[in-house]
Amino acid sequence: MTTPTVQRALDAAFRQEWGRVVAALIRRTGDWDLAEECAQDAFTEALRRWPVDGVPQRPGAWLTTVAGNRAIDRLRRGARGSELLEQAGREALSRPDTDEDAMPEPFDETDEIEDDRLRLIFTCCHPALPLEGRVALTLRSLAGLTTAEIARAFLVPEATMAKRLTRTKAKIAAAGIPYRVPPAHLLPERTAGVLAVLYLMFNEGHSASSGAELIRAGLCDEAIRLGRALQQMMPDEPETMGALALMLLHHSRRHARVGGDGELITLEDQDRGRWDKVEIQEGLRLLESALRRRQVGPYQLQAAIAACHARAGSAAETDWREIAGLYALLEGQMPSPVVRLNRAVAVAMAGDIAAGLAIVDELSGDDRLERYYLLEATRADLLRRSGDQDAAAAAYERALPLAPSEVERRYLLSRLQEVGDRTAG
Amino acid sequence: MKYVLFIICSDGLPAPADLAVMQRECPGWVKEMEGRGVRLLGRELELPETAATVRVRDGETLVTDGPFAETKEFVAGFDVLECADLDEAIEVAAKHPGSWFDTIEIRPFMDGLELGEAAQAFARNDDSAGSAYCLMMCLDGTPGSPEEEAAVVRESKAWGQDLKARRLQALGHPLQHKDTATTVRVRDGETLISDGPFIETREFIGGIVVINCAGREQAIEIAAAHPLARHHMIEVRQFCSE
Repeated sequence: MTTPTVQRALDAAFRQEWGRVVAALIRRTGDWDLAEECAQDAFTEALRRWPVDGVPQRPGAWLTTVAGNRAIDRLRRGARGSELLEQAGREALSRPDTDEDAMPEPFDETDEIEDDRLRLIFTCCHPALPLEGRVALTLRSLAGLTTAEIARAFLVPEATMAKRLTRTKAKIAAAGIPYRVPPAHLLPERTAGVLAVLYLMFNEGHSASSGAELIRAGLCDEAIRLGRALQQMMPDEPETMGALALMLLHHSRRHARVGGDGELITLEDQDRGRWDKVEIQEGLRLLESALRRRQVGPYQLQAAIAACHARAGSAAETDWREIAGLYALLEGQMPSPVVRLNRAVAVAMAGDIAAGLAIVDELSGDDRLERYYLLEATRADLLRRSGDQDAAAAAYERALPLAPSEVERRYLLSRLQEVGDRTAG
Repeated sequence: MKYVLFIICSDGLPAPADLAVMQRECPGWVKEMEGRGVRLLGRELELPETAATVRVRDGETLVTDGPFAETKEFVAGFDVLECADLDEAIEVAAKHPGSWFDTIEIRPFMDGLELGEAAQAFARNDDSAGSAYCLMMCLDGTPGSPEEEAAVVRESKAWGQDLKARRLQALGHPLQHKDTATTVRVRDGETLISDGPFIETREFIGGIVVINCAGREQAIEIAAAHPLARHHMIEVRQFCSE
């Protein structure tokens, strides 16, 4: 019988070890599907054995060894196995007449295992793979989500997701994408690529708001968990710390940003008492140690902006001048009309609404923002603050048809009503 | 692994100034990559308007002027590489001046590409065996029935053997599916990598064949004899001679 203690150990092992087991097996066999199947087998075996034999002292080593033995068995049986087996044998995977009932030898290659997980994450996030495939494969092979879970999180049929995963893995093999940590000269850009995948994963979850979308919200936890793992693997990389800090600081507001009816609550109106203090503290600590390294990048800057909000006891205490300065720096590193629009808000909130509106006006000519509802919504908001309720109402109305979801539409409607009331009053 | 780099011009011909840089820098790239043993061969193609696209329908050969894809983009030439992995192929592509102004599409070959005597002669720009033409096998993505596919494989093999026996083929090999393509561009010193082929049409290049023959007419005739011409189409274009 599975006791709660054993169940907890199994759950924890799954969370912590799945990626390691898969990563080690891919290195040894080069076969992604085989690696996943054998990792699954090893966890099934643990479910059977741990309640009887007790939880092994080093669950990860136990699981990797069992999965490795299973890989040998499968390869021996498989028709195409001999070649792979020979390769695996060269990697010293093979042990004579493996006895699965014997407790696996503990094996001491901690560094190798850490490297394996890094190899895996860099390969999953290789820029030559389709972006959607990178995210899906990272969730499947590192986080251990099932295809069905990933499909639900991305709101696509399971068959679609299965095809996406298959195609992505097929490209790795057919196009010769190397299974390795990139060499030093490629490391900075490839690390940025991994962070982009994690942040995309996080945002997918973060944009989920209602109860029906809780599975999507779970993506945030996965992204943070993978971010932590990456940070442990590359402890000196400031942008990795910055990205993790950014995700934590955003995540800390999750209970405050959506109201009881699923409505969006702006930063200004959020109940700051509901922000997660522990995550804020961790985020601030990470950001501080990242900034000490004096290699500021876009994630650190965005985290620094989120930190300004996190430190402010109330909306009124927000240091908007500092935020406007940070957005200017961010724009220098990552020129984008969306960043500029955010700078416009910060400039206005720092006291100069006219200057903020001037930036919004400049952006109106930018084709890239043509269908972007936040351009008009921002203009509306700044006009409302400047007291021009008629112009604000007109801008809210222009924003309405562009709003991407019901949540945003409801928010805009409530604002529209508010300025309408003021005009009437 | 062996890869082909397709040099793709995206908006008609490159600007004269860009073309000048490419012409100046290309020989250095060739020298470096041959020195490293990475570049096996490659050549520029004549302009796309000189191409002929060949189909055979109901036993009749249909020839249209121009390249297979009716887009502004066209294949300007290709290089065949032997690389350790895709990262090396990307690095080599990013050093090719073509990627600075235009686009390079990297496609892995199916296993088993061997470069024989005739391919070596082509690599040396030795056209003594006849004018060099490129046949690009353009698939439209619709698979035939299993029997049809099997027949195509069987007949392709016979077609290749016949060409070799007549000393007409320098090189010929299928490419991996277009889903394995990677596009490389270099802009402002940054290497931009993306998944998939650059020319987003239904048709894609499924294989390349280099032949040495008497001229355009014979090249079209050879293409029309290939089983793929019956189901898909084949673009025929001459290589530039040195």
